Amino acid sequence: MPLETLIRGLLDGALTTVAVLLLALPLATTLAFTAGLMRLSRYPPLRWLAVVYVEFFRGTSALIQLYWIYFVLPFFGLRIEALSAGVLALGLNIGAYGAEVVRGAVLAVERGQTEAAIALNFSPRQRLWRILMPQALVAMMPPFGNLAIELLKATALVSLITIADLTYRAKSLADMTLQVEQIFGLVLLFYFVMAQLLALATRALERRLGRNMERGGLS
Amino acid sequence: MLRFATLLLAAVVATVAPADTLDQAQQSGTITLAVANEIPYGYLSAEGEPRGEAPAIALQTLKALGIDRVEVLVTEFGALIPGLKAGRFDVIAAGMYITPKRCRQILFSNPTYRIGEGFLVPSGNPHALHGYADIKDKPALKLGVMAGAVEFGYARDFGIPLDRVVTLPDYPSGVAALKTGRIDALAGTVLTMAELGRKERAVELAQPFTKLVIDGKPVDGYGGFGFRPGDERLRDAFNAQLAGFIGSADHLALVEPYGFGRHTLPGAVSAAQLCQP
Repeated sequence: MPLETLIRGLLDGALTTVAVLLLALPLATTLAFTAGLMRLSRYPPLRWLAVVYVEFFRGTSALIQLYWIYFVLPFFGLRIEALSAGVLALGLNIGAYGAEVVRGAVLAVERGQTEAAIALNFSPRQRLWRILMPQALVAMMPPFGNLAIELLKATALVSLITIADLTYRAKSLADMTLQVEQIFGLVLLFYFVMAQLLALATRALERRLGRNMERGGLS
Repeated sequence: MLRFATLLLAAVVATVAPADTLDQAQQSGTITLAVANEIPYGYLSAEGEPRGEAPAIALQTLKALGIDRVEVLVTEFGALIPGLKAGRFDVIAAGMYITPKRCRQILFSNPTYRIGEGFLVPSGNPHALHGYADIKDKPALKLGVMAGAVEFGYARDFGIPLDRVVTLPDYPSGVAALKTGRIDALAGTVLTMAELGRKERAVELAQPFTKLVIDGKPVDGYGGFGFRPGDERLRDAFNAQLAGFIGSADHLALVEPYGFGRHTLPGAVSAAQLCQP
């Protein structure tokens, strides 16, 4: 099969990969902030809930989580469609890692900021959202960039639950043509380009949030 | 009061009780099949069209049953049975062998073909491998098998030590492993191996091939369609169609392009017989 046909076949898959990524990324981000902040809460039940979520999804492999949602949940009456199952598993998994990033970044803002805010009569909520979070956000960006790229590569797992992403197409074409060297070389290139685009976006976000650092990233 | 409660309960049960797959498929006119991209048994073409012996027969059979719209999903061979049981698709149309172990998990139609084993070896057959015995007798050699396929059991039952059996997820990996010397032979059905040998110059079908015999019995694979336990009516509907079709001129014309023919007809063997351990 000529190279051009291979590329066109893979391109279809790449678009599906991007779609899965764009669906899973917001889910992972939401879960990361929610669970991360819950772990910093004053209320023990919220903290424990967050701990259970984070430790379970960090401590078990993404592939098994995916298989569980896709193959095992139907036996409990919960048949989630393949794409949703993939996005859910990936979002839950990466969200758990993200929660620790959020927690770490908030805790890492220097103690003086908290003390000054208390001295100036900020309420706990104001302290978190107006003082700590803007500074923490900048520190979160590099690890978040890492996790975004990891999420991109993890999307390859959805090929195992019948979703026609880049990896699925690659294996399909390999089954048909056996031109494995060309196909997998192209696939590496595709993932690399997508990862670089993610890295660029993260760096841009970092710069934007880090502007006027003396006054905080969101102002 | 009691009569009303009983009627109410019956109504609730009737609406909640799942209609079986045959009814659902005939009412909606759609059904979902699964293949494992194994040429020529069940695969999707480059354009995404279902091809292969099993989908070809399935499409005809389903049409006769009034089910015209057929969706085909691709999954790894080892995920066919779990996916079927989880309701991800309704029929396995991958030419799956009917074995006692699989019969304990799912239902099978009567077989649609019978085939023997084969080896794929590097071109020129450098180790002169012509059967499972040759692998067993040469202690340095490794045999590749596909995950979830019968060849693992064949190798084990034949007496090949399991540390010399390499499990691979799919056939392109198997061919790559053969080309790079990670395995010395790849085991599969003779049709699959012949097809791979045709497509890739660096490997070939090992010929001649000594028929595999385990415990004095010659081993043949009989392939059929897989159904969920509970879908007995769908399986029976398939069997009724297959009874008149398999062996007919139409059947042979349908499957000959894939390398099947009179020599692969299953004969008068039923799934029930094949399921006996």
